[in-house]
Amino acid sequence: MKKREAIGALRARRLFLRKISLAGAAVAAGVVPKVAAKSEAAAAQKSFPTPDYDWSKRQWAFGVDATKCIGCLRCVEACKRENGVPLTAHHFNTWVERYVYLEGENKPRVDSHADPVNIAASGSEREYRFANRYQDAKVEKAFFVPKLCNQCEHPPCVQVCPVGATYKAKDGVVLIDAKYCIGCRYCVQACPYGARWFNEEKGVTQKCYWCYHRITKGLQPACVEACPVGARVFGDRNDKQSPISLFIRNNRVHVLKPETGNAPNVFYVGLDKEVN
Amino acid sequence: MPKHVVRLLILLGAGLAVGLIAKWLFTAESFYEFGHYRADSVAEIAAKEPVLQTAAYCQSCHSERHAQWSANNHKTVTCETCHGAAEGHPQKGKLPIPADTRKLCSLCHEKMAERPRTQPQIDLAQHGAGQQCATCHNPHAPKLAGVVAKVSGDAAAGRKKHAESCASCHGTNGISPNDTWPNLAGQNAAYLVRILAAYKSGAQTDVMMSPMAQTLGDGDIQNLAAYYEGLSCKAPASGKAAGDAAAGKALAQNCAACHGETGVGTNPAWPQLAGQKAVYLANTLKAFRAGLRKDPMMAGVVRGLSDADIANLAAYYAAQSCGPRKTS
Repeated sequence: MKKREAIGALRARRLFLRKISLAGAAVAAGVVPKVAAKSEAAAAQKSFPTPDYDWSKRQWAFGVDATKCIGCLRCVEACKRENGVPLTAHHFNTWVERYVYLEGENKPRVDSHADPVNIAASGSEREYRFANRYQDAKVEKAFFVPKLCNQCEHPPCVQVCPVGATYKAKDGVVLIDAKYCIGCRYCVQACPYGARWFNEEKGVTQKCYWCYHRITKGLQPACVEACPVGARVFGDRNDKQSPISLFIRNNRVHVLKPETGNAPNVFYVGLDKEVN
Repeated sequence: MPKHVVRLLILLGAGLAVGLIAKWLFTAESFYEFGHYRADSVAEIAAKEPVLQTAAYCQSCHSERHAQWSANNHKTVTCETCHGAAEGHPQKGKLPIPADTRKLCSLCHEKMAERPRTQPQIDLAQHGAGQQCATCHNPHAPKLAGVVAKVSGDAAAGRKKHAESCASCHGTNGISPNDTWPNLAGQNAAYLVRILAAYKSGAQTDVMMSPMAQTLGDGDIQNLAAYYEGLSCKAPASGKAAGDAAAGKALAQNCAACHGETGVGTNPAWPQLAGQKAVYLANTLKAFRAGLRKDPMMAGVVRGLSDADIANLAAYYAAQSCGPRKTS
């Protein structure tokens, strides 16, 4: 008898839950049509965001071959021109770091364009070059590492934005809505890669967005276009023959700070464990 | 219900209504279209016009330059990497031609331990004696024309051909009887092969040489080159040259990288100049300057030379003692 009562109680509960979910659906039905109508309007348009570009068909990714980089910084120059980044030593969408291990030293010496020695070598912080500062030193091992926004799969910067001014586009790029950005800089703090910077002039946060205005027009990002040695690779992962798909397939690739769980979309070849 | 509770509820309700209306008013229409952001901003970001164009954009006008650039080693360096962004060009004016090529080129080619070994690198202190890179290197076809032609000729056969066809002008022993025609004795075979082939193909023209070279087969060219290289270049001193050899020596510093300090170079692709006829040297330099002889590197080198400079250089090289090529 007890067993039957128990089953009856279970049935009653199931019925109750069903009723609740129905009621919930009915309430939602009032809201959902509005949203659905909007989506249909978007679907009626041939493609989004532009007539020639459909963001649901692409999955962009980026590759960096650190074994090829010569540290000429033409990518930085190209990026700054393309995106109107202030020509100072402290605002970069993309930048290059130099790792140098001298004989007898266990830790690498790391510098980038912001280092005063490099600025002195180029003669101006508006011109980018690495000083030949180790020419007389005994270098055991050295290499350059280009860096940029990783367009993470789970971007912490998007998570912390209080106003919905930054978001992950369907094609994988993390974008910033400059009109909605209130300049609170939470996202600058949240990014574990230091990819975001604050534009004091405009009062908004900026970062690398893989030249979204170029890739949606069928062009390569400016840095990829400028790289003279093919150290930067860009393409669509949905296309199995794209440069990036081949890059990921044919190399053993690595991402920066995998332990954060952000799942970056910039894949590296030729990094040391010290690079992060 | 007590009055004060009712008032409180009305106040709360009014506050909620104001809040909702404000949200409805201030939220952009496209805000929730795809998620917690403004969908219109995607199109706004995508609408920006590119600043950097592509090489294809430059090609539409500069097709000749583009053809040369895309066929050579710098084809991976885009036009805008050196000339700046092409946005607004040509409407807004010319793009710069970099003046300080030593600074520009060293961005990629300065020797650094940090660079991969596959990258061609030079020690700035040791290379080019502080001159601009573009003095010797054509930025659009940077590799010097040092392709050494293969020589596999038979000197004895070359000797026979020489007696038949060439000796009347270039002398029985390859030492020319006058100052206008070049000595061939002791000249680098690889250079001779290249230059005779150029006369034959029409890549280089000369009233006398073109018809002569057209009758030569590839085998003849090989044999002749091998024959001339084996001859002694010792020639009787010719008449006094027009130029000042001492002044020429200073200028010759600019030529030393390829032709050697005294006109005896290390690379067989380039001609020996030591002991060559002064008038011939001067005429050749003038032909390069006028564009009658075509060579991307020589064209750049002679651009700034005056007639007096050319005479001085010719006098200097003519006065040097020729000798076997130093092997590098």
